[in-house]
Amino acid sequence: MSLIVNEPYDDSGHEDPGHPERPERSSVAMAAVTDLHLGSDLVIATARAATRAELIRVHSGNYLDELGAFCYGGGGDIDQDTYATLDSWSIAVLAAGGGLAVIEELQRRGDGVGFVVTRPPGHHALADRAMGFCLLNNVAIAAAGLLAQGERVLIVDWDVHHGNGTEQIFWDEPNVLYVSTHQWPLFPGSGSASEVGGRHAIGRNVNIPLPPGATGDVILRALKEIAAPTIKEFDPTWVLVSAGFDAHRADPMAEFQLTSGDFALAASWVAEFVPHPGRLSLFLEGGYDLDALRSSICATLSSLLGRNQDSEDPSSGGPGMDGLVQIQDARKAAIDMLQRADKEDDQ
Amino acid sequence: MTSPLTIAVGYDGSSESEMAIRWALYMAVATNAHVTVVHATGLLEHAHIRFSPDAAPDALLAIARECGFDADHLYWVVNDGDACSVLLRAEGPPIGADMLVVGSRGHGKRPGILLGSTSLEVAEHATVPVVVVPPNIRGSVPPDDEVR
Repeated sequence: MSLIVNEPYDDSGHEDPGHPERPERSSVAMAAVTDLHLGSDLVIATARAATRAELIRVHSGNYLDELGAFCYGGGGDIDQDTYATLDSWSIAVLAAGGGLAVIEELQRRGDGVGFVVTRPPGHHALADRAMGFCLLNNVAIAAAGLLAQGERVLIVDWDVHHGNGTEQIFWDEPNVLYVSTHQWPLFPGSGSASEVGGRHAIGRNVNIPLPPGATGDVILRALKEIAAPTIKEFDPTWVLVSAGFDAHRADPMAEFQLTSGDFALAASWVAEFVPHPGRLSLFLEGGYDLDALRSSICATLSSLLGRNQDSEDPSSGGPGMDGLVQIQDARKAAIDMLQRADKEDDQ
Repeated sequence: MTSPLTIAVGYDGSSESEMAIRWALYMAVATNAHVTVVHATGLLEHAHIRFSPDAAPDALLAIARECGFDADHLYWVVNDGDACSVLLRAEGPPIGADMLVVGSRGHGKRPGILLGSTSLEVAEHATVPVVVVPPNIRGSVPPDDEVR
């Protein structure tokens, strides 16, 4: 099977010295792809910038104008975590365009798996606000493009942080199912199990908040027991993954205890829901320990491509297994309440 | 008898947010309100890469004393998230703020930049009154006769 990767672009201009979201991350991600020795099975999708029409499906025009002007004015700190530089706008639209280019290539071929190396990452970016290192919501822009073509899109987000931006953007969209496993409590503070979607999309948001120290066995069981039934019912025509690797035990940003082997297993699980070849793409989100990032990407892609590659043993025994029932209950209660309110409004 | 009002004020370690706290404390003295100082823990702070307000509670007590505020009614809350979202969440339980107070610009922000403006975002989305305290407020506190 082929791997479709977006053409590398120069992202060196988006850098804040000492900041963990740094250019070496994309170099390491591409090195992980090289580690796979794919030969002719590696396909590079030509780089392109996302157009304003593609961005505005997700972000407000005012926000896009402000962000562009802020960058061209020299940039600076946007909030306590998030920065932009003179070059950040042009780099961010190439990141967003990379996702679109990979999907276009997958559609042309009708086969393969996509991997989009994006800097800056995207899943915290709201419709009208940058935050959490993110400027433009890359996976949401790609999903919105597919929605415009009539597709039903599953987004699985296994970054250790909740993807509040993606959740907000598709909150009331019945043709997107968002599934997130994340550490809680942790930035951005959202992501409770009772956040199940808006009135037009009740149940289309699946949050699985898990405690610090959670291991791969907990996450995989949570996905199988809580998310899988909803995904089967949703019946996606496309599957996108917000593939953050900061849930790895070596990552400095959080306290999950995953190994590269866990990401490989999670990828295999996600692949079960891909309805046809060529309808799965991963988007790089977090992951700040460079060695862990490289080995985790390598293990994940190997798993999806059916190649043998050494990876760390899957992790097990962490906390959170006992709380899965409460997550199910909180989710069900929230769905019931919204459905009751909906019925009452109709009467 | 009605319960005292609760004022929630955002704190990010900047001198502007300290000014906001002083304004909130003087207002609370005048109105017999409680004050909850809210600090948002971002990604970098969680990873101990940037500002961490470990010493803040002690410093806040000193400011409360300066403002003549009873420290028993001063609360310190640290929550995960961005500054805007964390302050907006203070409207709900357990804080239940009746008023939000925020400095006009946060740590390291340049004047005149709207992007990422916590005060603007809070003012836009809040469902309770919001006070935005400018950095150059005269005397750094509201005059007594305006407050009472």
